[in-house]
Amino acid sequence: MTVARSLFIPLVLFLVIAFLIGPFLIIVAASFSAGETLAFPPQGFSLRWIAKVFTVESFRASFGMSMFLAIGGTLAALVLGIPASYALSRYKLPGAEIVRTIVSAPIIVPGIIVGLALLRYIVVPFQIGITLALFMAHTALILPYAVRVVSASLENLRSDIEEAAVLLGSSRLGAFFRVVMPNIRGGILSAFILGFVTSFNQVPVSLFLSGPGVRTMPIDMIAYMEIVFDPSVAALSSLLALMSIGIVFAAERFLGFSRYV
Amino acid sequence: MFQNRAEALALALPAAIFAAAVFLVPVVILLSDGFRNPAGGWTISAYIDFFSSPLNQAVFLRTLKLGALVTVVSAVIGYAAAFAIVNLEPGMKGKVTGLVVLPLMISPVARTYAWIVILGRTGIVNQAFQALGISDVPLRILFSETAIFIGLLQLFLPLMIISLISALENMPKDAVPAARVLGANWFQVFWKVILPLTKEGLVVGGTLVFTGCLTAYITPAILGGSKVLMLETLMYQQVSVSNNFVAASVIAFILIVMSFAANILLKRVATARNKQRRAAA
Amino acid sequence: MSDASYLSLQKLTLTYGDSPAVPDLDLDIRKGELIALLGPSGCGKTTTMRAIAGLMPVKSGRVRLDGSDITRVPANKRAVGLVFQSYALFPHLSVYENVAFGLKLKGMRGQELDAKVQSGLKSVGLSNFANRRPAELSGGQQQRVALARSMVMEPKVLLLDEPLSNLDARLRLEMRTELQRVQKETGVTMIFVTHDQAEALALADRIVVMKSGKIEQIGSPEDIYNRPTSSFVADFVGFENIFPLENGKLKTSGGLINLSSQPPSAAGLAWRPRMVTLGIGPFRGTVRGTSFAGDSREYLLDTPIGPIKAEVEASQPAYALGAELVFDLPAEKAAPLARFA
Ligand SMILES: Nc1ncnc2c1ncn2[C@@H]1O[C@H](COP(=O)(O)OP(=O)(O)O)[C@@H](O)[C@H]1O
Ligand SMILES: [Mg+2]
Repeated sequence: MTVARSLFIPLVLFLVIAFLIGPFLIIVAASFSAGETLAFPPQGFSLRWIAKVFTVESFRASFGMSMFLAIGGTLAALVLGIPASYALSRYKLPGAEIVRTIVSAPIIVPGIIVGLALLRYIVVPFQIGITLALFMAHTALILPYAVRVVSASLENLRSDIEEAAVLLGSSRLGAFFRVVMPNIRGGILSAFILGFVTSFNQVPVSLFLSGPGVRTMPIDMIAYMEIVFDPSVAALSSLLALMSIGIVFAAERFLGFSRYV
Repeated sequence: MFQNRAEALALALPAAIFAAAVFLVPVVILLSDGFRNPAGGWTISAYIDFFSSPLNQAVFLRTLKLGALVTVVSAVIGYAAAFAIVNLEPGMKGKVTGLVVLPLMISPVARTYAWIVILGRTGIVNQAFQALGISDVPLRILFSETAIFIGLLQLFLPLMIISLISALENMPKDAVPAARVLGANWFQVFWKVILPLTKEGLVVGGTLVFTGCLTAYITPAILGGSKVLMLETLMYQQVSVSNNFVAASVIAFILIVMSFAANILLKRVATARNKQRRAAA
Repeated sequence: MSDASYLSLQKLTLTYGDSPAVPDLDLDIRKGELIALLGPSGCGKTTTMRAIAGLMPVKSGRVRLDGSDITRVPANKRAVGLVFQSYALFPHLSVYENVAFGLKLKGMRGQELDAKVQSGLKSVGLSNFANRRPAELSGGQQQRVALARSMVMEPKVLLLDEPLSNLDARLRLEMRTELQRVQKETGVTMIFVTHDQAEALALADRIVVMKSGKIEQIGSPEDIYNRPTSSFVADFVGFENIFPLENGKLKTSGGLINLSSQPPSAAGLAWRPRMVTLGIGPFRGTVRGTSFAGDSREYLLDTPIGPIKAEVEASQPAYALGAELVFDLPAEKAAPLARFA
C-alpha cells in the first residue's frame, strides 16, 4: 500500500508533466536542427532556423501586428475596463448585472463567431480597415479579463480609504488617483499581462479578419506551415513561448501575478 | 458604496457600449440570420437543412463526443494529478503547479504544431512503432479523431487540474482520514467523500474544458485536417469555401447554445451548493 | 450662532434608497464639547456621522457648522474630520505620509509640513514609527495614526466611529484616556460613536442616546446613568428590572401590584439590581441563579411578578440556589420613566 502510494505520486506527476510539456520541448529541440525538414530527433545542431525566423518578411510584419494588437488592445481594454470595474464594485449601479454580463460576454462566445460577426456587420457595412477591426475585436476579447482582474483587486481594497482621502481635502477623482490606483497597480499590471498573452496567442477571432499584408502572428504561422515544412515555425514557436513565459515569470516574481488571475 | 447614479453610469457605459457595439449587436444579428427566410420572416428551415445533412450530423456528434470524451478523461487524469500535487510538500507543490500552468502561456499554435512532429508519418510515434516491429508501414495517426483528442486533451488538461487542485485544497483536511478510520476503502473514499466535496471544482473544470473543446479552432484545423471536421472548422469552411453564411450562423448558434448550456450547468451546481450551505448555517 | 449650537442638525432626514435610516433628527452641540452617540447596532449612528462629514446625501433638513449652512458643501471642503471604525489608513503610504496626506493637499510643503507631521506623530506617541507601513502596526497604533491624520488638519469637528470597538480590553482603556487627553489639549469639538454605555459614561461631556434613527435622550453621563427617561435608555444603561405603571400600580406578568410605598406618577419604573432590597419586603421569590462578582453577589429570582435581578454586597449572608426569600422594590429608589416602549 505505502509502496504503491510512494510510487503512484511521482509516476502520475511524471507522466502528466511529460504529456503537457514534452511536446513543447520537442519543438524546442527541433528548432536547433541542422536538417531541412521538421523532425525529431533533430538532425545535427545549428542556429540556422532560429536565424531564419528573423529574415522572413511576413513574420516580421505579423509579429509587429500582433504586438500592436496585444499592447494596444490591452491598453484600450484597461481604459474601458478600469472605470467599469470601479463602477461595478463601488457604486450601486442600476443594471449592474446587465453591464457585467455584456462586458464579460466575449469570453463565453467562441472567438470565431466574434470575428465573423464583426467582419459581416461592422467591417463590410461601415468600410472600416482590417487593422482597426482587429484592434476592436482584440479589445473586446480582452475586456472581460481586464474587468475580472481589476474588479478582483478593487474588491480586495477597502473603499473607505477613498472617503478618508476626500475628508482630508482630496476631490473624488484625486482620491482615485492618489489612493486607489497605487493600491491596484499590481492588479492592473496583471490584467495587462493576462490580456497581452491572451491577445497574442489568440487565433479564432482573427481568422476572418485578415487582409492583404495584415495578419496576426499565429495566423501567419499557420499559413506558413501549410506551405513550408521546415523547422522555422518550430524556431519561431520556441522564441514566442520564451517571450510569454519570460513575461509571466517576471510578473510572478515581481507582482505575485497568480494572486490576481 | 457610492450612491450617485449618473457618475456610475458615466463610468460603466463606455465599456458596456463598446462591448455591445463591437460584440453583442453584430453577434445577435449574425445569429438571427439563421432564423430568417428570404422573404424576411422567421423560420427554422436552416436548422432542419443543417441537421438533415449526414455530414453535418457527423460533425455535430463528433464535436459532442470529443468534447465529452476529453472532459471525462481530463477529469480522471486531473483527479490523479491534482491529488498527487496537493500531497506534495509546499515548495515542490508550487513548482509542479507552475509546470502544469506553463503550457497555458504557450501559443496553442506551437502546442498543436508539436503533435505533427510526434504523430506525423515520420514522427516519433511511428518511428518507435516501426523500430519495435509493431507495424511496418507508418500508421496514419495525424488527421484523425485520435489526433484531435490528444491535442485537445493536452490543451485543456491544465485547466481541469488547476480547478481540482483548488477544490481539493478547500476540502476539510480530516475528511479523508475520518472516512478511512470508519473503514472505507479507497474507492469508497473517492466516491463518497472526495467526489461530493470537490464537485464544485469538477464542474468548474469540466465546463472550462468542454467549452474549450467546442471553441478550439487550431487543434481540429491542424490535427484534423480538412476531412475530420469539428463544428468550428466546419463553420470556417462554410464561410471561406462555400460562402454559406446561413450555415455559419446555424453553427454559431449551436456553439453558443452548447457553451451556454455548459455555463448554466456550472452556475446551477454552484448555487445549489450555496443554498445547501445557507440552509445549514 | 449661539454658543450652544456650534454644530447643529436641523430636521435631518437620511435615507438609503427609499428606506429611512434617520428621520427628522434635531441636535445641537456646543463648541469644544465631547459628545457620545450611544445606541444599539443599526440605530443610525454611522449614518448620522456620515451625513455630518458629507459622505451621505441629505434627504431633507440642514447641517450647520460654525455659523454656516454646510448641508450642500462637499465633503472635502467641510473641515470635518472622521476617524473610521476600520481606520481606513492608506496601505501604500508610510505612517508619515498618511499623516502628511491632507496637509500636502492644503499646499503645505517643506519645513512647515515636516514640523506639523512630526508634532502630530508625537502627540500620539508614534514618532518612532514614521517610516512603517500601516500593515506593520498593531490595531492600537493604526488607530493613533488615523487620529493624528485627522487632527493635524485641525478640523472644526472630529467624528470618531466606534473608535475603540476594534481594540482589546486593555488598549481600549488606554485609548479612552488618550482620546480624552487629545480633546482637552486641543479643545476640538468631538463626537464619538459607541454602542458601549460604559465607554460613553466614562468619556463624554454629554451623551446622545439613539434608537431607530431617533434621539431617545440627551443628557450628562449622570443624567443618563441615574435618570433615564425611557424604558429603552434604562435598559441600555443597566436597569434590569423595568415595569410599566398603571394607576399607581406596577404592571407585571402576575397582574397589577401595589408597591410598598406610593410611586411617583410616571409611565414606568426601573430598578438596578443594586436597588432591590433582599430579606425584607412584601414580595416572595426563589433563587434561580447566583453569581459571585468579587465585592458583590448577583441573584436571579423567580417571583410571581416575573424574573427579578438583585445584587447585594458580598459581605452579606449568601442565599443558596433554590432558597425562598422576601424582597422589596422600593419606589423611592426607582428611576421614574416618562416613556415606556
Ligand atoms: N449602505 C446601506 N444601504 C442600505 N441600508 C443601510 C446601509 N447602511 C446602513 N443601512 C441601514 O441604515 C440603518 C442605520 O445603519 P447605521 O447607521 O450603520 O447604524 P449604526 O452605525 O448605528 O450601527 C440600519 O438599519 C442599516 O440597516
Ligand atoms: Mg456603525
